[in-house]
Amino acid sequence: MKDLTRRKRLRHSLIVLFTLFIFSLPFLITNNYYLSVLVIIGIHTTVVVGLCLLMGYAGQISLGHAAFYGLGAYASGILTSTYGISPWLAILAGAVGTGLITYTMGIPIFRLKEHYLALATLGLGLIIHVIFVEEVELTGGPSGLSKGIPYLSIGKLVLNTDFRYYFLVWAIALAAIILANNVVHSRIGRALRSIHGSEFAAKSLGVDTDKFKLQVFALSAIYASVAGSLYAHYITFISPSPFGLMTSIQFVVMAVVGGLSSIWGPILGVTAVTLLTEALKSIIPQLIPQAGGEYEIVIFGLILVITMIFLPEGLTSGLLKLYEGWRYRKERADEIP
Amino acid sequence: MKFLEINDLTKSFGGVQAVNDVSFSVDKGEIVAVIGPNGAGKTTLFNLMTGIYQPTQGSVVFKDTDVTRLTAYQVAQLGIARTFQNLQIFNNMTVLENVMVGRHTKSKTGFLGAVFPLGPVQREEREIVEKSLDNLAMVGLADKALEAANSLPYGQQKMLEIARAVALEPELLLLDEPAAGLNSTETRELVEIIYGLRDRGVTILLVEHDMETVMEITDRLVVLDFGNKLAEGTPYEIQNNQEVIAAYLGEEGLGC
Repeated sequence: MKDLTRRKRLRHSLIVLFTLFIFSLPFLITNNYYLSVLVIIGIHTTVVVGLCLLMGYAGQISLGHAAFYGLGAYASGILTSTYGISPWLAILAGAVGTGLITYTMGIPIFRLKEHYLALATLGLGLIIHVIFVEEVELTGGPSGLSKGIPYLSIGKLVLNTDFRYYFLVWAIALAAIILANNVVHSRIGRALRSIHGSEFAAKSLGVDTDKFKLQVFALSAIYASVAGSLYAHYITFISPSPFGLMTSIQFVVMAVVGGLSSIWGPILGVTAVTLLTEALKSIIPQLIPQAGGEYEIVIFGLILVITMIFLPEGLTSGLLKLYEGWRYRKERADEIP
Repeated sequence: MKFLEINDLTKSFGGVQAVNDVSFSVDKGEIVAVIGPNGAGKTTLFNLMTGIYQPTQGSVVFKDTDVTRLTAYQVAQLGIARTFQNLQIFNNMTVLENVMVGRHTKSKTGFLGAVFPLGPVQREEREIVEKSLDNLAMVGLADKALEAANSLPYGQQKMLEIARAVALEPELLLLDEPAAGLNSTETRELVEIIYGLRDRGVTILLVEHDMETVMEITDRLVVLDFGNKLAEGTPYEIQNNQEVIAAYLGEEGLGC
């Protein structure tokens, strides 16, 4: 009981420390480009936290998360620019709508398992993406929404700079992490992890596995949707291209690289992959002048393969093991004078 | 009213009759064993009773409720818990968390409560931890509570499965080969645990190959052979049943 309380305290103090660190960053970094990368990292973190709940804890996969991210972005974009609805209401509407869509679509999809489930979610993502492209009257088609999407504002404060938006994005990302952390350490979280551990045993202990899979799928889609809305109000223009399969794969890579079953995995994974992508964007054209975006997928593939081989549990537990190894060696060194 | 009634239960996989027209009943508070050679249909019987498989024919009635067509989690919610022949420990959790999952049906925090854990949710959580620690103490694993479940040796993992099943506070507990792979000390502990559960009013149905233990602890036995019920009776009756001796144990006899 005491040990449990201590673990909980440690968890909480880590979160507090990290929050302080995150909110002091923009005062230290004045370069706008770096700040904008951090904003994107915050947005992607929110998506990947949701994806980790689904993949790392419940052990289910989704290759359609970019589409749910797109649902949020388009809900916000269309509702605010075409219909003039309040952006905050639009975010809420997007989240609720995405939750309902994924819950209903999940009923047939989650009859499948493993590879078949991956393919079905991939299919769902592709269908939603096709709708973004083809429903020209609603979405503006391949060239995107023609009317501008307004900036978000809190009272009279318009969040139209990277500096101001950073705080909103990270407040939401941190809330996403804390709420996910609550879920993981609850009766529901244990039920989800039991599905991953042994679905057979979970059922025999009275866990309605089908229901929980659907609920966590919808919850993780809602996370993606809120992040999509934030993206739309940040860039203030959206087209279908960021919401395709490539982005879904990118989210999965981020989740796997960070480590699926730690609440810190998403931040680490998103940061590592984003920084690497940004670095590659400037390095690759220098090495291969005629290279285009297609090299990205090769790099993602490589990262995924290397992570699976050397750090199958992701960066978080990889780093923890390195630290433990270092401490062990240090203790040994201290013992032998 | 019988506590548990199995009526004409039949399950065929393709052309194979894994369980064929099996009927028996169990009274409250009894310890009953299902025995039979490998492939006799014992585990299939358990899977039929717990909603993992749907029978081809027949019914399972638990306390006047027909559970035949219920799914596994609904059967568990009615108070039937089980362990598994091949361990089904949640390897991604600690020992304590494994047992805490066992209290799933005895607690009710939903998704909203999980996201925003206010007072009542935290109280429930504390209760789950306390009761789960009690369950672990019962099988002698209280001091291992915070260890990773897959770090336990085999015998203790089997005990953990029992603690997890007991956390459900079942009225009927199905144990699938609980003594398999245990050494003699662990088997003694297991027997004590089973008696302890019986004294708390839990009815126990077990599949077991360890004849010495089975004959010692059971009130009655059901013998299966190739999916058919061969005999039913007290350990004494079974030990002296010529048909059982011939079909199942060959020349050597029972209780060796």
